[in-house]
Formats: sequence, C-alpha cells, structure tokens
Amino acid sequence: MIRLMTGLTLLLFTASALAENVFPYHYQTQTLPNGLRVIFIPMSGSGLVSYWSIVRTGSRDEIEPGRSGYAHFFEHMMFRGTKKYPGPVYDRIVNGMGANSNAFTSEDLTAFHLTFAKADLAKVIELEADRFQNLHYERPEFQTEAGAVYGEYRKDQTEPAFMLEEKLRDTAFDQHTYKHTTMGFEADVKNMPQGYEYSQAFFQRFYRPENVALLVVGDFDPAATWKLIQKSYDSWKPGYQAAAIKPEPAQSGERKAEVAYPGQTLPILDLAYRGDGFAPDNRDYVAARLLVEMAFGSTSDAYKRLVLDQQKTETIFAGVPMNRDASLFEVTAVVKQAEDLPTVQKVLEETIERFQTTLVDPAQLAGVKRHEKYGFLMQLDSPLHTAAAVVPLISAAGSIDVVDRLYKALEQVTPEDIQRAARKYFIPQRRTVIVLKGTIRP
Amino acid sequence: MKTHNLISILFLGLLAATAHAGPADDVLLPVADDPTVSYRIMFFAGSQYDPPGKEGLAALTARMIVEASTKQHSYEEILDLLFPMAGGYEASCSVETVVISGRIHKDYVAAFQPLLLQAIVEPAFDEEELKRIRSDMISYLENTLRYSSDEDLGKAVLYETMFAGTPYGHIPAGRVKSLKSITIDDVRAFYRRNFTKLNYVLGLGGGYGIESLNSLKEGLKKLPPYQIGARPHLDTKPINGLQVTIVEKDAPATAISIGARLDVLRGQSDWYSLALANSWFGEHRNSASHLYQVIREVRGLNYGDYSYIEHFANGGALDFPAPNDPRRQQIFEMWIRPVPHAWGHFALRAALRELKHLIDDGLTEEQVLEKRAALSKYVFHFAPTTMDRLGYAMDDKFYHIEGSHLEHYRKVMPGMTRNRVHEAVRKHLQYKDLQIVIITKDAKALREALVSDAPSQITYPTPRPAEVLKEDEEIINFPLHIQPENVHIISGKSLFE
Repeated sequence: MIRLMTGLTLLLFTASALAENVFPYHYQTQTLPNGLRVIFIPMSGSGLVSYWSIVRTGSRDEIEPGRSGYAHFFEHMMFRGTKKYPGPVYDRIVNGMGANSNAFTSEDLTAFHLTFAKADLAKVIELEADRFQNLHYERPEFQTEAGAVYGEYRKDQTEPAFMLEEKLRDTAFDQHTYKHTTMGFEADVKNMPQGYEYSQAFFQRFYRPENVALLVVGDFDPAATWKLIQKSYDSWKPGYQAAAIKPEPAQSGERKAEVAYPGQTLPILDLAYRGDGFAPDNRDYVAARLLVEMAFGSTSDAYKRLVLDQQKTETIFAGVPMNRDASLFEVTAVVKQAEDLPTVQKVLEETIERFQTTLVDPAQLAGVKRHEKYGFLMQLDSPLHTAAAVVPLISAAGSIDVVDRLYKALEQVTPEDIQRAARKYFIPQRRTVIVLKGTIRP
Repeated sequence: MKTHNLISILFLGLLAATAHAGPADDVLLPVADDPTVSYRIMFFAGSQYDPPGKEGLAALTARMIVEASTKQHSYEEILDLLFPMAGGYEASCSVETVVISGRIHKDYVAAFQPLLLQAIVEPAFDEEELKRIRSDMISYLENTLRYSSDEDLGKAVLYETMFAGTPYGHIPAGRVKSLKSITIDDVRAFYRRNFTKLNYVLGLGGGYGIESLNSLKEGLKKLPPYQIGARPHLDTKPINGLQVTIVEKDAPATAISIGARLDVLRGQSDWYSLALANSWFGEHRNSASHLYQVIREVRGLNYGDYSYIEHFANGGALDFPAPNDPRRQQIFEMWIRPVPHAWGHFALRAALRELKHLIDDGLTEEQVLEKRAALSKYVFHFAPTTMDRLGYAMDDKFYHIEGSHLEHYRKVMPGMTRNRVHEAVRKHLQYKDLQIVIITKDAKALREALVSDAPSQITYPTPRPAEVLKEDEEIINFPLHIQPENVHIISGKSLFE
C-alpha cells in the first residue's frame, strides 16, 4: 500500500517550466496530508543543496499589544533546540557538516535556511523536522536569548533608515500590524524576558504544517527527498490559528511627521503611499512595480535631474514591496541640504503628476520590462541565491507558480496601465510624508 | 565515496581557473552552461598609493571610472544603455587594489563589453561629476561612519591605529580635508600613474566566447603606459601592551574591536592551521563558534562575537568575505558587537580571557577533528558563484599560490593535528600586545575602570545558571594590566577629518 501510494504521488508531481516561462528551472510541488507544502527546484551539478523552511508568519501576525517583535524573537528561539537535539548539539551537527545556516524575519515570514553538501540532506531533513515539531526550551534560555535580541535592536537603532521606518509605520497605520517594524517597539523588546508563556503559545499557533512551506533547491533527487520528507514530517500535527489582523481603514488624507535623528545625517525625505498587497493578478499593483522604476530609477528624469545634474540629492530610490496585505509604496530621497527639501519634494510630486497626465513611451516601458526580467534571472546563479530570489514570492502568495505569473503579468503592462496606477496610488490622500533631520548640524 | 565525487564536481571550476590561466596574468574561468559572463579587472592601485594629503584619491578615481561619463557617452547615456540589460559594473577599493567588476547575461555581451572597456580606458574625468562623487564620499565619513554605525566606526579606527604611520594607515574612504582638496587633475594624474598596462590582472569567467576575451585584451591595450614605481614599503612598528583607544560619542551601546597585525598569509602552511583554530574560536556569523557561545549564547550580552585572521570588509552586511582584498600584511581581529554600556568592561575581559585560553590551551583533540571535517565542506561556501571563484583565483596570483587556495584549504584539513594547530596559534597569536578600540558614551569612567583594573561586576536582568555565575567571577577579576599611558580618549566628532 505504501509503495503504491508513493508511485501515485510521483505521478502527481506537477512539472513546470513551459518554454515561455521566465523561471528557467523545472520545479515540482507536493503537499502532505497535514498541509505542509513542499517545493523542489533541482539544479544539477553544484553538489550543494539549499533547504528552506518558510513560516508564513512575521511581524504582521503580532496582534496582541505589548507583543510586537515576537516573530523575530521566535526566529532566534528556533535555534535553542529540542530534547533530542538541544541547541548546542544542533549547532555542532550543522557546523560539523560545514553548512551555511541562517534565518531572517520580515513583516510576512520567518525563513530558516541551510546550504550544504548533498550527502547531508537526509540529516538536515531529520534535524529540521525535529525542531519544527519538538522545539523545547526552558525559561532561563528564553530570557538569555531576549538579551541577544535587544542587542540586535541596539545595533540597528543608530541607523537613520531604521528610525525613519519606525516613524513611518507608526504614522501611516492605525489598525494594521504593519504599524510596527519587524524588530518591534523598543518597550516590547525590552520586556521580552517576561514573555516565556506567550512564546510557547506563539509556537503552538503558528509553527504548524499548514503555515509552512519547505523549499529545496540544488543538487538532489526529488523523489528520494520526498520520501524522506514524508517520513519525517508526516506526524506533524496541524492546528494553525491565523491571527485576526485588523484591516487598515482607507486613508482619508495626507499625514506628516518629522524625525529628529540624534546625530549628524543628510536629511531624508520619504513619500509613502498606501498601496496594495502583492497580487500578480492585480494589474494596478503590477503596473506600479514598473512605474516606480520608470519614475525614480537610475534612468528616470527625476534621478538625472536631482542626483546627476543639480546634485541636490545624494540618491533617490523607490519601491513597491511584495507584502501579503496592503503596504506602502515608497519614494525616498537623501537630500544634501535641508533647505532643498521643499524643492526636492516638488520635483518628486511633479514627476508623479507627469505619469498621471502623460502616457509613457512604449519603448521605454519595454526597456523596464527587460530590466526586470534579466535582473531576476541574473540572481539565479547558485542554489542559495535562487532560493533567496523566490522566497518572498512564495511567502506572499503561498506557491511557486506565482513567479511566472508575475513575470507574465509584467510583460502585459501597457502605458495605460502605468497611468492608471499612477492615478490610483500616488495621490496625496494616500500619502504619508516623513522628514528625517539630524540634531547635529555640520 | 559519494562525498569525494561531490567534492570533485565542486572544484571543477577552480581547477579550470588554474588550467586555463593565460601566459600573462589573465585568469580565465570558462563555465559553458553559465548564462552570464563575469568580469573582474584588478588594478594594483589601492589606497596605499594615495599621495600624502590626498587620502581617498584611489577610491575616488575608481568611482570616477565606474560612476561617471566616458569620452564616448555621458553617464546618463551609459545608465540608459545598461538599464535594459540589467547589467552594470562597479568598483571597490582596498588598500592594495582597485577591482572593477561587472556581470552581464550573455545575450548582451556585445553591447555591454564596449561600455565596460570605455569606462576603464577612456574615462572622461569631468569636473562636475567629481563634485558629485566627492560629496558622497565626504558624507560617508561625516555622517555614516561618524554617526550611524558604531561597529563600522570601531573597525575603521582599529585599522587606522593598527597601521598608523604605514601605507595601510588610512582607510580607503580617505579623509574629509583630503577629499575636499582633490582636483580633477589629481584624479587624472592618479589614473595615468596607476591604471596602466602591466599593472592589472584580467579575470574573465562564465559563458564568454573567445572573441570576447580577445577584444577585451585588445581594448585594455589602450591603457596608459606602465610607470615604474616601487610599492610603498610596509614598515610596521610593534604594539607594546594593550593599547586602548576610546572613542567618546553619544552611543546607545558600547562597541568593541580588538586587533593585532599578522604576518601569516594564505598559501603559507601556518595559515591553514590558524584558520582551523580561528574557525573554532570565532568564525564569522557562525553560531557554533566559541566566542559567540561564551558571550552571546550563554550570557546574552550582545548579538554576536567573531574573530578573523584576514581583513574582512563590510562584515556587517556579508556572510562571507568578498574577494580581491589581498594584503601584504594581515590582521588578527576580534569583533564584539555592541553591549550595554554597563557591560563594556566585562565583555572586553570575557573576550581577552577567551583569547588567552585559546593561546595557552589550544583546542582539544576532538575539537580539531570536528573542525577539520567541518571546514573540508564549509570552504565551498566561500565561492559559490563564477564571479566569486574568479575573484579567488585572481587573489591566488597576488599571493603566488600555485593552484587554488580554497582547494588547498580543503585538502590540508584531514592532515591537521592538535599540535600543529596549537603550534601555529602560539607562534602567531598573542594576547599581551593588542590594539583595542571601544566606542562608548562615558569614556572617562571607562578609562578609570580599565587602568585601575577594578572588578567589572555584572548584573543580569534575569537569572543565569550557577556555573555561568561561577565563571563570571573569573571574568570579573581577569587582570588586563592596562597602563594609564596606553589609554587614549578621542572624540567621535572629529574622526577622519
């Protein structure tokens, strides 16, 4: 019976990579009965495998007051081990196999990854399946780790960009958990040693198979790996409880705030517009991704005018993030002289107005599409880099077919789509303006 | 057996780099199924060649090559041409070298390569563009380094104090006043003198064709003629005792960097023994390493603690070092990430006590066995891409390494013994003569605590196990013997002026 099941399972693997797809590798997907999704991207020849566990929980899920920063804190706690493999033993084994191992947390996900020689794949599956199901730590270890997390906060807090992001989120959002950074409010980070019981509930709620995707990239045999994964993860009990995240009401008018950076810095102007969440089927969202590159990228008129010709700004950049819920589309300018802030803002606003009133040149649009496509392809030069390139998409959409859906959608964007996106998102009513200035003047 | 096959595959690229090295200094790494082409042109034109009073000139010249106009195209045109290819080129400047690197999808080689070549051999060196780039560089010193990253600040001050009075004695980013004094004629003169024929190593890798290589070599013939000029002599003075520089500023936490000069270079036998010891002691961003365990995992003092036997630029952002930062003299460095001010003295003691243990006791047999097996595979992560492997192969030229450093690193691990490792540690590392840089808020109080060797009591916010508290007693009272005349307080506001 088991043998038959396995045979059937193999037939059910979904093969991809049609000739017209952008993503150059064949991939296969599978799901265990408990809901755990598994994505295989074989890349032969390197001898290396990159193994990722993507938990679709990030600071977005931190809904309780006083508990911001817990998703990131939990990323740390996952290295404290299990009864079978306590933290130091886990570290020793992973280190012993010469693996490159790390983890990170964002608004929407917590990702754990190891890259190693393919001979160690079976051991890695055993270790990772064990810690995701049987994490165990005592109160003192928890409290010690809280000290390391506060240390990470201290490391970040001297950066102007970090202070700006804290203020921006707090100003732009009222209800949604995007109000705080992934690091969390400082008071909550400081109070973390008191949250031992809460942390265990956090694990029980979110570290469940339905909320996790495994991604295996590199030099391995998918069928044999699937068998190992089935064996190690089958007993993982479902029980994911989605956080009841409050939706953010529509913004009714422009918001503004200033940040006084305790030191010397170039002033920073940030125009953040309430946008949409990641959705390759949302033509406006997809068009906005190209729009910001055309309007503020290194070949834009605004960049040439402000950075290269007038040299009023050190740099400008803009981005449309891949978030699960509606987040902020930002245009940021690092300005050389504080007195130029109004002029720079005016240029940025006029740039947007031009995109709202004038259709873009189709040839220029084609260039941006090529830039996006080749820029993505250039990232895929090793198992680790390939995994890192697709993880944000998998996290945002829950599956890998979204990669090709996104790049196909980008290909179809028209000048009219760009104009519509400019008119929809980049309006004062959706805007939060943050200005950061140093308290020490040169 | 499987492992052996795997390893052979992994190192095919590195072997290719050696086998195909051209008669001159070219390093070629053809990888037929790589859809991209990687370029690295490494000039021996690093910051040690900055004339006195013009610190930062090498880095500025490098940026004038890659971030400005050429005789054929304005910079704006160059950006327009590069953009649809999603390709580009950049420069990085270290003390010995400037490397100009670029990567492009092979569909666009024919359009990309002339742009890269024009930037290198026919830069326009325009006055207005000099202003733009110089202003960025001054802002980096005045704002970013002085205020926004105490860890980078601590490292920069450490490198300068360690090599004071030598050609390595200023960071490549330069000095504010020097940068302000640099004219376009200075840039032209530096270029003519250092970006010359015979003064570079050409690296080409990935899916390139022979015609690309030939046109690249032909194009580089337009470089200015080689000028004979001796490499600055690297005369380093010994460090006597623990030399402490306290940088006083309104810092939220205390950042510590510790270092000593190291004469062992990769390729030399002792380097690999030291590498094993260092990997056990403080491998970069590796949570299993000893220092990290003692300071962060067990005590929760900070976010991480690492050690190095080679300079590691941009360590806050990278998991593995970028290639093409070769040096005639290396450094031993310990990086203690920011700790609360009240724990600064304790953290310094904890770090130095562990260094003493490493030197006095070495590693156990078991630790050596584990580490040599681990490193045999960990080494693969240093150069996973064609671009990385190309860079490593070029560095091998600098260090006069026959074959490949990374391959040798892996191959010598199985033969490592406890004695061999400990001998190298004792011969090359020491804990009495070190440069220490501490970024903190109340410099005077810290100075007094250091010179009086007063116990550095520690109070944790939450309970710690009895064995930790017992070991703490030893750390609290660990003698440092820092002499008053060896502690210098400087203000963070005027650094790199």
